[in-house]
Amino acid sequence: MTKSKARVNSSRRNFLTGSASVAGLAATAAIVPITFASANHKDGSKGLPEFINWKNRDALIIHSDKGIETHRSAIGESIVTPNANVYIRNNMPTMTDAQIGNRKNWKISVSGVKNPKTFTLAQLQKLGHTTIATILQCSGNGRGFFAHKVRGSQWKTGAAACVLWTGVPVKAVVDACGGISSSAVFMTSSGVDHAPTGLDPKQAMVERSVPKKAYKDAILAWEMNGDPLPNSHGGPLRTITPGYFGINNVKHVGKLSFTDKESDVKYMKSSYRISPIGKKGPQYPTCWEMPVKSWITRPTDETGTVKAGKVQIVGVAMGGTKKAKSVKVSVDGGKSWKKAKFIGPDLGKFAWRQFALETSLSAGTYTLSSKASNGSDTQPELRMENRRGYAHNGWKDHSVKISVV
Amino acid sequence: MKKNNFLLAFFFIFFFSLQSIKADEAKMIQGLEIFNEIAGCAGCHVLKAAGAEGNVGPSLDSLKPTQAEVQDMVFYGLGVMPAYGEDEMLTEEQVDIVSFYVANSAGK
Repeated sequence: MTKSKARVNSSRRNFLTGSASVAGLAATAAIVPITFASANHKDGSKGLPEFINWKNRDALIIHSDKGIETHRSAIGESIVTPNANVYIRNNMPTMTDAQIGNRKNWKISVSGVKNPKTFTLAQLQKLGHTTIATILQCSGNGRGFFAHKVRGSQWKTGAAACVLWTGVPVKAVVDACGGISSSAVFMTSSGVDHAPTGLDPKQAMVERSVPKKAYKDAILAWEMNGDPLPNSHGGPLRTITPGYFGINNVKHVGKLSFTDKESDVKYMKSSYRISPIGKKGPQYPTCWEMPVKSWITRPTDETGTVKAGKVQIVGVAMGGTKKAKSVKVSVDGGKSWKKAKFIGPDLGKFAWRQFALETSLSAGTYTLSSKASNGSDTQPELRMENRRGYAHNGWKDHSVKISVV
Repeated sequence: MKKNNFLLAFFFIFFFSLQSIKADEAKMIQGLEIFNEIAGCAGCHVLKAAGAEGNVGPSLDSLKPTQAEVQDMVFYGLGVMPAYGEDEMLTEEQVDIVSFYVANSAGK
């Protein structure tokens, strides 16, 4: 059992991507046409899977019907990522409307509290109401940049989104149950999406424990960016743990318990552990708090050549569990840096800030990088090497090469 | 003499090609058996060639993995997918064969 946070201090190495092919237009209100680097946009060879046919195909890169990431420039031109562009990464098949049944009657049992209770969604909605902005980011976002052969989806930047969740604060639920048991050390959420598969819960249940303190900011959400929480994003109810990696935001949550031990299911014990290459085991830290991170969303190698003259370099910067304090941008691969401005409203420390640097570029090729700080930590240059390619926040790998003509 | 050598060479190449085609065909047949009967892959995956319509893991027809990718997944598992190789649920040879089968069937 480990109590250590997934605090990642990073170091070495570099990997750059870049290729461009057919141009297309993102159907999001984005001004920026995305040049599709991914072959799966051609000939309609990879259409949207049925269960998410409402999403924006042009904004997405389909790795498989279950692994779909957002194009770098489709993350949202105004801070919040539209639902139609948000990535898909589900460990279990998405529950269907038939499996969910009457949404108002969805049940969640609460234990590890003075007075254990079971609430329906309708009852939760009477306990409290709040809206918070957080980053939803897969632990493996950035895995595609690692040099060693890493198992798992090869996300680059697109397994991340900034979302407004509406729901009841866990605090209000806890109060309605008379408070947390004094022996509790963790807040454990259990999904029920494995149940229809009939698979062994110890192997298949998405159950995640986070430090108890996380309950103070956590909510049980039923709405995502103003829409009823889609099934594919964990509807009708999902635990939201602000500042923590995506896996901890348990979808289709059916149980919330305050426990003295970490969950012992596979998704807690073995998966999502940050270990050195070649090593594995539950003794290594799990994917909990997200580190400070930023990346440029335009211009990129996907958005085509840039006209010489005034250029707006735009991106997103997050502080993890702290507020993003500042972000710097480089156009020469990190030799020199200029402070970029945060633009738009501040949606709180768990959201990202959009940033922009206005600069003048003459014809040539440039390597654009961004480096954020949350006051205590600054993004390192290099990734922290680890077996499964988790928690990448190195600025060098996230650089983009552009051509100015 | 030269003509005979040429004919001989041609015969051997033809013969060995036939053997290798036969070997590949045998592998595909064995692979299908491992996929459906032994490892139970159809329980979780879509693979049209095998008549599989499982909906837990990604559709193999959608993913179109390379043989090396399948090999890695089948051997070590990932998340809820068992480590068929590491946990000795399949022999190394079986892992090889089913990987060959999936890589050559996915998307077809």
